[in-house]
Amino acid sequence: MSAPSTYALIQYAQRRHLAFTETVDGLDEGRFHFSAKDNLCALGFQARAGSAVLEGYRPPFDATPIHRLKAAGGQLVGKTTMDEFGFGSFSTNSAHGVPLNPFDPDRSCGGSSGGAGAAACLIPGHIALGVSTGGSISGPASFCGVVGLTPTYGRVSRYGLIDYGNSLDKVGLLSRSAASIAQHFGTIAGPDPKDPTSCAQPPLAGKGRMPSSLALPREAMENLDPAVRKAFQGALPVLRGMGVAVEEVSMPSLRFALPAYYVLATSEASTNLARYCGMRFGRREEEFNQHFNDFFTGVRSEGFGDEAKRRILLGTFCRMVGFRSRYYLKSLAVRQMLIGEYRRVFQEHDAVLTPTMPFLPPRFEDIRRMTPLEMYLADFLTIPPNLVGMPHVSVPCGYVDGLPVGMQVVADHWKEMDLLELAKGWEGAFLYTFPEVRP
Amino acid sequence: MKIGLEMHFQLPTRSKLFCPCPTAPAEPNHNICPVCLGYPGSRPSLNRKALEIGLGIAQFLDCRIEERVWFSRKTYFYPDLPKNFQITQYETPLGTDGRFELNGRSIGIWRVHLEEDPGRIRRVGRPGEEIAFVDYNRSGIPLVEIVTAPDLTSPEEARTFIDQLVIELRALCGLEAQDEQTVRVDANISVGEERVEVKNVQGLRNLERALRFEAGRQYKLIAAGKRVVRETRRFDEERKVTTSAREKETEEDYGYIGEPDLGEFRTGNMLRALDLKETPLARARRLVASYGIAEVTAKQLVLTSSRLTDLFEELCHHVPAERAVAWTTGPISGNWSTLQDQAIWPELVQIVKADAEGHINDIEAKRRILALAGVRQEEASGTEDDLSKLISDYIDAHPEVLADYRRNPKAANTVIGHAMKESRGRHSSKEVVEEVKRQMERRA
Repeated sequence: MSAPSTYALIQYAQRRHLAFTETVDGLDEGRFHFSAKDNLCALGFQARAGSAVLEGYRPPFDATPIHRLKAAGGQLVGKTTMDEFGFGSFSTNSAHGVPLNPFDPDRSCGGSSGGAGAAACLIPGHIALGVSTGGSISGPASFCGVVGLTPTYGRVSRYGLIDYGNSLDKVGLLSRSAASIAQHFGTIAGPDPKDPTSCAQPPLAGKGRMPSSLALPREAMENLDPAVRKAFQGALPVLRGMGVAVEEVSMPSLRFALPAYYVLATSEASTNLARYCGMRFGRREEEFNQHFNDFFTGVRSEGFGDEAKRRILLGTFCRMVGFRSRYYLKSLAVRQMLIGEYRRVFQEHDAVLTPTMPFLPPRFEDIRRMTPLEMYLADFLTIPPNLVGMPHVSVPCGYVDGLPVGMQVVADHWKEMDLLELAKGWEGAFLYTFPEVRP
Repeated sequence: MKIGLEMHFQLPTRSKLFCPCPTAPAEPNHNICPVCLGYPGSRPSLNRKALEIGLGIAQFLDCRIEERVWFSRKTYFYPDLPKNFQITQYETPLGTDGRFELNGRSIGIWRVHLEEDPGRIRRVGRPGEEIAFVDYNRSGIPLVEIVTAPDLTSPEEARTFIDQLVIELRALCGLEAQDEQTVRVDANISVGEERVEVKNVQGLRNLERALRFEAGRQYKLIAAGKRVVRETRRFDEERKVTTSAREKETEEDYGYIGEPDLGEFRTGNMLRALDLKETPLARARRLVASYGIAEVTAKQLVLTSSRLTDLFEELCHHVPAERAVAWTTGPISGNWSTLQDQAIWPELVQIVKADAEGHINDIEAKRRILALAGVRQEEASGTEDDLSKLISDYIDAHPEVLADYRRNPKAANTVIGHAMKESRGRHSSKEVVEEVKRQMERRA
């Protein structure tokens, strides 16, 4: 049997796994194919960021990373499904279909870039643009058994990205191999005057330096599913076999990352989401003969999902007079403290190694039983590097009952190419497996 | 009585504060883009010129200037505010703790900061059946907000303060006489313990009236043994009274957080590169100090023309100041339209010098000055017809001005500017403006 065509695989990923919200009608000859998470603006597609409140929004411009990939010979083949505005860890908070895990359709792809994870897994050679605020690239990469690179904050322009938390959002890449990520990362990285926060970066190294010493924080090994722990520990001898030392360290501040992250991310999100009021774009309220407060309250009550409402309330609370210094300003201080803790580890080691997710891809029926807090805790290993804006990569490191387990490596600011060097080396020592697809 | 002011002064940049949209007047919703409409995915980048001008103002007002400044989000929901938050400065205003000298008294300046203007709402129709239109051309126009200490002691003084500050700021920003400039002012006033905020007053004359009414109202309340309620009041222009705006009495919670998209700005290098122009009233104070002339004379000089003041200072190098005053405020300013030509200044200086040294008498000096002006006048004798032709030729050559004028009468300023320049002072500005208006109206 001959291999299915890429276009057939894209259609399959859309129909059977709900990886895409929209796709193109056909592929262009001679161009490489890439997809974009639905919170990245692109001409010719709606950009709804997983939210009903953005129904019908057709942005009049391309996001810079999309523009750059197109200019480098790429074709944008579709927009991938996601949690509403990136609010979630399982892509179940999506108004446009919940993506199904390529290894088992009863399980989650992770989130919030779940569609991107599924597309990267199901379509060989595919490059998926993902976005991470607190782990939304690492998580889906781990659950979908692919490689996910989250760059340093400020490395890739955010122009055209629909904001979640502007001081945390990072555009990155997911694919089956580190080599294809390395091939396209240089295209999307680099300063862009339209995003001033991208203009302070040092040049990207041509080739990375292979990390030779990894720090494994013992705090990261607590609260793990035993199956994940076992698969992860099985990867350590392979790493040592590659000549990479792994040493246990202590990073006691890691446990402060999660609360600080939720304060900062929701504070910023609650201001970013203020603009959705039914007037200028997206879902419109047609009944104009009412007070403005009633007008926008109607649109927001109907247009936002439960998790979006929860985060708006959390964030608004954290910004209030009287709570601002207790929560928002203190969280800013925690972020600085945590950067210091990573820096201390980087004096002795090249990178920090942990599992990516604390459990296997969960079944949807189990997710329905989880409380919001339990869901937030699922990201306790991916949030720390995101909070400090340091680059990290998640790669498959084992399989349990046919489900992938991922490990995550964090390097100091701007050292993405070192991480990709390690990920490429890892691919020479460890064999990835992908589900067999018959469109 | 204590009065404090909050002023919003539009900065004269060509483009908006956070996007490249022009700031020039245009049809409604013409100067807009994804950034100033707050489209999802768009983001701001700072217009450095606005930061420079703002820093110049903070420095001029003798403020303490932070080494690092950043912007904040002030969140509130209103139809004219596209993002439903305004990008402003909260923790790090450009300047704090400054002062402005008002007729020999120092008025405290609490803070100077930059922010973006929201759009503009226009209501059309009968009350109760109004339709609201929103024009986003103004969205993102750079403003500097200046907040004073409650150091002003009367409505008259408040008005003088604004008048003088505006004179200084306009000169500091390099605005010309014909350039439009909007200033919006809110005021806090108390005659006893509690203060009242007076908002949304149109024009300085109305502000003075509103404050005068409000002071009277508060005095009467206190005299009657009643309490002044802390509140926001609006001015009713027709009835000339202030009325309660019935807003919440507690301070609104704007939930300020930092604006993460813009980052931090270091002010050090920008401050060092600033080259502040001497402002008119500061110059008047210097003239008083250096030349010992009367303050009223000095103000008259700088407010008449900066060039006339230049000539005065030139004369002071050659003759005693009182002689320079007598000649500049007398025959010279009387014939300024011809004598402003710098080419004849050396001759003028010689005449005044000859008089001061006793080589000629006053009468002869005046005759020579008038001759100098008169000769010029004959040479360049402009007639009504010249002016009329100058203007009509220009309009013929620039039909687009007429088209602009139909939409916005301010377009006439281009023609006025041209005619003023070309007629080189042969006609008074009043004559030029009237002739331009007459011709534009006739053609439009």
